[in-house]
Amino acid sequence: MQSHSLYVSADPSFDRKFAFITYGLLILLIVFFTYLHHGRPDVLQVPDNANISAWKNPSLEQTNIYDRMTGTERAQVREKGVPGTGILPVLFDSQGDLTAFIFAILCFIHARKHYGFWMASCFLIGSFVFTGLQESIAILLGRFTAGQAYAAAEQVTHGTYFFTKGVLWFIETPVAVCLSWFWIAYACVFTAGKVFPRMGVLGRATIGGLTAMIIDLWLDPVATSPEFMMWLWAKGDLIRVLGINHSNFVGWFLLIFLFAILWEWMPALVRKWGRAKATIAFFGIVLLTDVAMLIFLVVYNTYFVRNVLHLFGVSELQIPPGW
Amino acid sequence: MKSWRRFWRNRIEFYPAFSIFIWYAVGSVLSSLRVQNRPGIVTLGLITIPVVVVFIIAVRRAWRELPAGS
Repeated sequence: MQSHSLYVSADPSFDRKFAFITYGLLILLIVFFTYLHHGRPDVLQVPDNANISAWKNPSLEQTNIYDRMTGTERAQVREKGVPGTGILPVLFDSQGDLTAFIFAILCFIHARKHYGFWMASCFLIGSFVFTGLQESIAILLGRFTAGQAYAAAEQVTHGTYFFTKGVLWFIETPVAVCLSWFWIAYACVFTAGKVFPRMGVLGRATIGGLTAMIIDLWLDPVATSPEFMMWLWAKGDLIRVLGINHSNFVGWFLLIFLFAILWEWMPALVRKWGRAKATIAFFGIVLLTDVAMLIFLVVYNTYFVRNVLHLFGVSELQIPPGW
Repeated sequence: MKSWRRFWRNRIEFYPAFSIFIWYAVGSVLSSLRVQNRPGIVTLGLITIPVVVVFIIAVRRAWRELPAGS
C-alpha cells in the first residue's frame, strides 16, 4: 500500500453520516447476533461447548480433530467440554475478543493516519463484513444442509466448520475473528508495500496474502489442537495440510488478496463517482465478491481438486503424510 | 535515550508490525509450546521465518523513513 496515492482527505459532513450509518448498523447486527448466539442458541443450532456428545453437523466424530486425539483426550473433552471457554481465556487469548479489539484499534489508528478516516473505515468494515459473511455462510451451510457435514459419506469435498469461543458474534463468526481478519490483512498488505515499494497492487496483494497464509500455517494447527479447540473442521476435504482442510489456507490467501485489490481501487472510484457512490459501489462489490468466492470454493473443492487428484491416481492427500 | 524518544513520538508507524509480533509470539510461539500430542508442532514454526524477516525489514524501513529531527 502506498499511502501517498491512496490517501483520501476528510469530508467531515459525509464522514459523520457514513460513520453513523455503517458503524451503527454493524453494532446493531453484533448486538442481535450475540444475543442469538448466547441467549437463543436453538435458533442457529449453536453447538454446546459443555455438551459435546450433542453436537451434530458435524459431530465430534465427524471432525478432523477426532482423529488427532488420543482416547484419553476424547474422554476428557466429552466429560469437561471444550477447554478454555471461561471468560478470561475468551477475552485474552491470542484470538480473544479483547486482544483482537486492541490490535484492531492500533491498526485502525495507523490506517487513519496514512489513508484518512473514510479509507480506514472502509477497510475495517469492508473486511469485517467480507470475512464474517464468508465464514458464516460456510458454517451455516454445513450446519443446516448437512451436505457438507457428511462430506465423506456424500462424496462432497468441501467440509464445514464452526468456532467454539467468543463473547461477541457476527452471525456465527466471533467478532474477534472478523476484527483479526481486518488487522492481520491490513498489517500484512501494508508491510508488503513497505518492503516491496515498487510492486503494483497485484504484487502487494499477493505478498500480503501469502504473508498472512504462512503465519496461519503455524497458527491454525495450534489453534485447532485438542488443547485449544478454537475452531473445528468437519472431515471431507480431499487435501489436508497439517491436519487442516487445505481450503482454509486457500481461503486465507484469497480473502486478503481480493480484498486488498478492491480496497486499493477505492480512490479511483471516488475520483470517478464521488464519495457517496464510491461507498455504495465498494460495499456492493464486496458482497458480490463474497458470493463469487463462495461459488468458486465450492466448485474448486467439489470438482477441481477431485479431478486433479484422480489424474495422479490418488483419492486423498495428507501433507505431510502421517501428520 | 534519543532513539526511544524518537520511537515513542512516531509509535503509530510501528503499530501494524507490533501487533503482528505480539500476536505471533503469543498465538503461535507460546501456544505451540502448550500443544502436547503433536510432535513437531514447535519445529513447524520454522516455516514462518520468511514472514518474520519481512516484518523485521518493514520495521527497519519504517525507522529509516521517520522524518528527520522527529
